Amino acid sequence: MERRVLPQIRRNVRRGIARAALPWRKVALGAAIALGVLAAAPLSAQAAAPAACAALQEKYPDWKGKTLVNAINPHTPGYETIDPKDPSKYIGFDIDLGEAIGECLGFKLTYKPVTFAALLTTLAAGQADIVISDIYATKERAKAADFITYSKVFDGVLVAKGNPKGINGINMSMCGAAAAENTGYVEVPLIQALMPECKKAGKPEPTVQLYDNNANCIQAILAGRADTYVNDVNTVDSAVKAYPDKLEKAIAVTIPYSVGIAVPKDKPKFRDAVLAALIEVQKAGTHMELLKKHGLDVNNFKEPDILTAD
Amino acid sequence: MSLFFHYLSMPYLLEGIELTLEVTALGLGGGLILGLILAGMQLSRFWLLAAIARAYTVIFRGTPLILQMVFAYDALPHIGIKLPAVLAAGLALACNEAPFIAEMLRAGVLGVDRGQVTAGQALGMTPRILMWRVIAPQAIRTMIPAFGNEAVSALKNSSLASVVAVQELTLRSTQLASSTFDFFSIFFASGLLYLVLTFAISAIQLFVEWLLDLDRAKGRQRKLADYLPWRRVDLGTKLELAAIAVDDPEPAPAELTATPPLALTREERTRRAATIARNNIAVEARDLTKRYGAQKVLDGLDLTVRVGEVVALLGPSGSGKSTLLRCINHLENWDAGTVRVGGRRLGFGENGKPLSPRDLANERASVGVGMVFQQFNLFAHLSARENIAGPLRWVHGMTRIDAERRATELLDRVGLSHRADALPRHLSGGQQQRVAIARALAPNPSVLLLDEPTSALDPELVSEVLEVIRRLAIDDGLTMIISTHQIRFADEVADRVAFLSGGAIIEEGPAHEVLTNPRNPLTARFLSVMEADKIPEAVR
Repeated sequence: MERRVLPQIRRNVRRGIARAALPWRKVALGAAIALGVLAAAPLSAQAAAPAACAALQEKYPDWKGKTLVNAINPHTPGYETIDPKDPSKYIGFDIDLGEAIGECLGFKLTYKPVTFAALLTTLAAGQADIVISDIYATKERAKAADFITYSKVFDGVLVAKGNPKGINGINMSMCGAAAAENTGYVEVPLIQALMPECKKAGKPEPTVQLYDNNANCIQAILAGRADTYVNDVNTVDSAVKAYPDKLEKAIAVTIPYSVGIAVPKDKPKFRDAVLAALIEVQKAGTHMELLKKHGLDVNNFKEPDILTAD
Repeated sequence: MSLFFHYLSMPYLLEGIELTLEVTALGLGGGLILGLILAGMQLSRFWLLAAIARAYTVIFRGTPLILQMVFAYDALPHIGIKLPAVLAAGLALACNEAPFIAEMLRAGVLGVDRGQVTAGQALGMTPRILMWRVIAPQAIRTMIPAFGNEAVSALKNSSLASVVAVQELTLRSTQLASSTFDFFSIFFASGLLYLVLTFAISAIQLFVEWLLDLDRAKGRQRKLADYLPWRRVDLGTKLELAAIAVDDPEPAPAELTATPPLALTREERTRRAATIARNNIAVEARDLTKRYGAQKVLDGLDLTVRVGEVVALLGPSGSGKSTLLRCINHLENWDAGTVRVGGRRLGFGENGKPLSPRDLANERASVGVGMVFQQFNLFAHLSARENIAGPLRWVHGMTRIDAERRATELLDRVGLSHRADALPRHLSGGQQQRVAIARALAPNPSVLLLDEPTSALDPELVSEVLEVIRRLAIDDGLTMIISTHQIRFADEVADRVAFLSGGAIIEEGPAHEVLTNPRNPLTARFLSVMEADKIPEAVR
């Protein structure tokens, strides 16, 4: 897939208060404040179709006025990171989308930052209520959580400037290369699947270095420890933007997955509520606006689906 | 560089310190409580408790903290215990620190001189008092450096709480690095913040060491600065301290020379023997038998000591003298036979069952068997006066004022009132033994056991101790059993000598008779060897 020009449209879209996960004894206070805000201004201008959302809140009253915990891996610029200007807040597409859904259903979100590999375990342990963190919905992962998919996946291949190893995708060009990846990323088994193929072709096998966040993967390439890092194309682009003299994107590749919101398996009603709210958010055009706001490719847009293990 | 300072002063990172400290405090505080319990279990007489503690130690010391964090955070909710992140991380850290702290505590407790523990038992201290007053104060002093270590390690380990979403310093740093790409400035800044924290812990550690320094408490010139790492002051044997100890002039020992040798005319000896023969029995051992494995240390030993009588136990090393003394106040168990002190079977209940350590201690205190040891066994952390006054308060419930008065009086009697505030390590061996005698006499024991009281002393110090003992026999008429190698001293002071060999008394009788005219060839040979080896100035 050729490189696309990404629209860099910045619009001031009002978004809800992103609260960093607070120390436990402050959460009660935070919840009280959130409730107060909610009572004063239940719906903002951003959430279009207030009537539809009001209907949803009536149909799914269980989460109205609640504060839910969103487990995120805040190391993905554009999707979810802390705000460098005010590190007590989280910013990014996923943050805004989650809050738009919350606004529609009448709940607030607080955030719990965990490693990528811990996202679903945190959800399964009940330490979080929802995961909106650029996680690809796969059948494998659906054993641990139900997914509401909302975005297509385009991966980029990050390499050192000049692409010295000539890597052009998760293919035979990666034989003998060292790939940096996040623990638990779907790219890991894809690269591992290359190993027997490379061997068969008489080439050295690729190696995988596992790190626990995005920044460490990028540092691995900068330090010359790894040759490539395959991840969401927008993440790759922001890395190139940060180190234009040292990094480049070799190519974008299509990965046969969608990005999904993960919810607990034992709460189908909550899953349905989130799905219904996401449909309303998309109908209102908010989803598309947020993609543009965060400089993401509008081609990522996807109508929602449910992905479960069975 | 400006970025570095920007991040160094960023409130977001500084707030992370608060959580770092919270997790560390939970980990250390919880670890200390758990560690105390674990150490107590491991040192317990009940094997099951010790085994459980051992198993806990193996598991929690043997698995990585990061797994324990994840377990506390993600697995406990499945059994219905959903702790907030900080508590879960604190719990995991506490569970992980506990075995390390327990081992430190155990090492500290076991490191306290066994002799002092024995001395405490002989003074009638219950295990609780012994732990609280003798073992803990000394153990804690030796454990402070290890505690400092553990605190620094806990602080650094708290960074692993980042895996369970605790917004502490490390997690904040990594998130910030991901959102700004200023990887190195951020990690240098957070590294420096950690350094500041660990430095503060080191400073606290040094301060506490200074605070608990026994020499500081005595008003000696120990400055806080002496603890700085580049200072090369030997804290144990600082020159000035040594100088003070040496310069302290011994007052003319006039008061100790006043007593004439025991008048030893034949008639007087006979008269005294006749008086004693009418007295009640103070100590009675019947058919006492004890073995260590295959070796018999006491072999059906019989001994009767009457009130006011001084008995010297003689015999080669390993003949059972010390063991006999330790059996009399039940510091040791035996296999067969009975021991009665003042008519009571010390250490057994009315039904004949052995008493618990606590009841045994209380009985020792009420029966009144004092003991003086070869190695003095003074409590090293207490002044001479406090060595005497402390047990009076703790065991006999005396008021502080009464105990002090009694201690002062006894120190005066052994000629050491000028050294009342000195620590044992600043006293000479002879002085230490005199304090130990005063300590044993303080509760007015009915019997005083002296286990080779001069054997560990330099020859020139022997006489001062023997003089104190001699006066106890003459002036106080105290019942005493002395194991000794000082033949002439035994001759002068003892009413009766008993010669032990192979765990039994092979010859006994009036002191002068046995010593001058032994009937058993073993006694004769022992006496001639001792006579030949005798150091001239051992007895005045």
